[in-house]
Amino acid sequence: MPDVVLQARGLTKAFASPAGRLPVLTDVSLEVFAGESISIRGSSGSGKTTLLQQLGGLDQPDSGEVRILAPGAGLVAPRSSLGRGVGFVFQNYQLMPELTALENVALAARIAGVPALSATAAARSLLTQVGLGARLEHLPAKLSGGECQRVAIARAMVNRPSVILADEPTGNLDERTGAEVMDLLLGVVAERGTALILVTHSREFAERANRRFVLSGGVLSPA
Amino acid sequence: MPWFLHLALRQLFPPGKRFPAFATVSILGVGLGVASLLIVQTVMNGFGEEHRLRIRESFGDCQVTGGVPIEQPEALAKQLAASPEVASAALYAEGPALARNGDFSGIAQVRGIDPTDPGQPARKYVYGGSFDELDDGRIILGAGLARALRVRVGDRIEIWSPAMAERAEKGKAPLPAEFEVCAVIVTGFTEVDNAAALISLRRFREIWNLGPRAHGLTLRLKEPALAEATAGRLAVGHPELRFRPWQDIKKDFLAAIRFEKTMLFFLMFIITLVASFSIGSTLFSAVIRRSREVGVLAALGAARWQVVVLFGLQGLLIGALGTLLGFVLTWTILAFRDGILGTINRLFGSGDMVANIYQFSKVPLHYDASDFFIAAAFTLLTTAIAGLVPALWAAGRKPSEAMRDA
Repeated sequence: MPDVVLQARGLTKAFASPAGRLPVLTDVSLEVFAGESISIRGSSGSGKTTLLQQLGGLDQPDSGEVRILAPGAGLVAPRSSLGRGVGFVFQNYQLMPELTALENVALAARIAGVPALSATAAARSLLTQVGLGARLEHLPAKLSGGECQRVAIARAMVNRPSVILADEPTGNLDERTGAEVMDLLLGVVAERGTALILVTHSREFAERANRRFVLSGGVLSPA
Repeated sequence: MPWFLHLALRQLFPPGKRFPAFATVSILGVGLGVASLLIVQTVMNGFGEEHRLRIRESFGDCQVTGGVPIEQPEALAKQLAASPEVASAALYAEGPALARNGDFSGIAQVRGIDPTDPGQPARKYVYGGSFDELDDGRIILGAGLARALRVRVGDRIEIWSPAMAERAEKGKAPLPAEFEVCAVIVTGFTEVDNAAALISLRRFREIWNLGPRAHGLTLRLKEPALAEATAGRLAVGHPELRFRPWQDIKKDFLAAIRFEKTMLFFLMFIITLVASFSIGSTLFSAVIRRSREVGVLAALGAARWQVVVLFGLQGLLIGALGTLLGFVLTWTILAFRDGILGTINRLFGSGDMVANIYQFSKVPLHYDASDFFIAAAFTLLTTAIAGLVPALWAAGRKPSEAMRDA
């Protein structure tokens, strides 16, 4: 049985609205194992991104808890595993506009405490792996959407996290580029044994995951 | 280099932009503020130093006078010169007189001095002729007075003292004292240059009917800065005499200069403060614009303190580079100060304003390291705070909110 890399129990989240508290997540529990991929689908506003933020430690749930496997530290709270236990891939890439592709990827490693030379070497290797070996010194403004998302994937992978949280990674890309990026993402996580939680609108991409869930009315249920 | 310093530098100076607007304007703003502050301080220091030097050279480090002319000045000078704190003691006598050259005349402030005294400060200011030629028949004139009388070195002038008027009242026909101009001095101190006339003390006594007396003594001290304390010690045993240290001779004037400098420091500091506030507000809008990036940094595992340092550093870097630019601007502007002042004079004034108003022929300067240190410290502190406030705000936000709001 593979190791558990992410464990969420009884997550509840509600936001204040003029009509009172609006529940977004209701008693969501999830276990993710090393190397597996999970897809979560749901309509707009169903709380997919909110769930991902709770899982990744970017926000705190009202109740419930999340544990993520951090290298050398076991299962820990997601906030303390950011950058090491968990990597993010966002819909809008979220690259630093003033840094080159190489620096963007190396930055994630530097923040995790990797020395500059090793960080740059790891970033160069990953960018070459995602097909951007010739675009290392390009700023994000000089890269296409697909290339930016490749940089973002390399950045998410550079610290060898146990789980990648991808929030609509193909949402800003055309169909063909989206498919290429999805192939790349699934290929890279499979190769490295990293778990993937993929939030997407696309039924086609969702079908490619090992396990599939639907988030509706704040409840997470198998598809 | 820590990642946050690298990123701070990149955000301030993005690659491909030679003069990024935010950094350029902010650094220029701080630089101008610092330069204004330091230029004013340095010039004010120069004025103060110049005035202090002129006061010391004109009146000595310590001036000894009495209610009436001193009866046995030579003996007193010998006694005071024997003190270990005194470098030299010189007699003097002074008074106003009418100077005349044919149809041209002027009021001269005549001073009788010992021409053989090697420490006479006037020696440093000889512009034409020779100080060593001063004797009973010769006179040294300030350049302004010489100009007013239309005389040059080698010309002759007449001096009419008040004592001659007394003689006329007694029915005796007074004759003016005649002198040959042996030197012209330019001190740069307009008050002196326009009126000074130096003659030998012996001749002064004769013209003023002073006998063996003198009006006072000027003392050169081994430690001029300690003149106040030294004067107090020397005065012991001489209740009939007044020992005035140079700091006391123009006390109100020197206090006014100090006060003026302090006030100008605060006024100029406000300029730097305004520049810092503008950095604060610009940095604040930059941080808001970068909210999403703050969220991303958090998602990458950046600690809150690192986000604070990232944006705080940008304020500090602007402060440091602005201060450096301010130093360079200060030095450059002050190096060309006379040319700049000449242009201002030509455009807005008439004649030499510095000479007419402040009695100096050039804008004086005195670089004081402490002014530079204080300006740098204040500027770095205010710009660091200006950067820190938005940095703390950014670091205090939830990553999810930061990413949503951007």
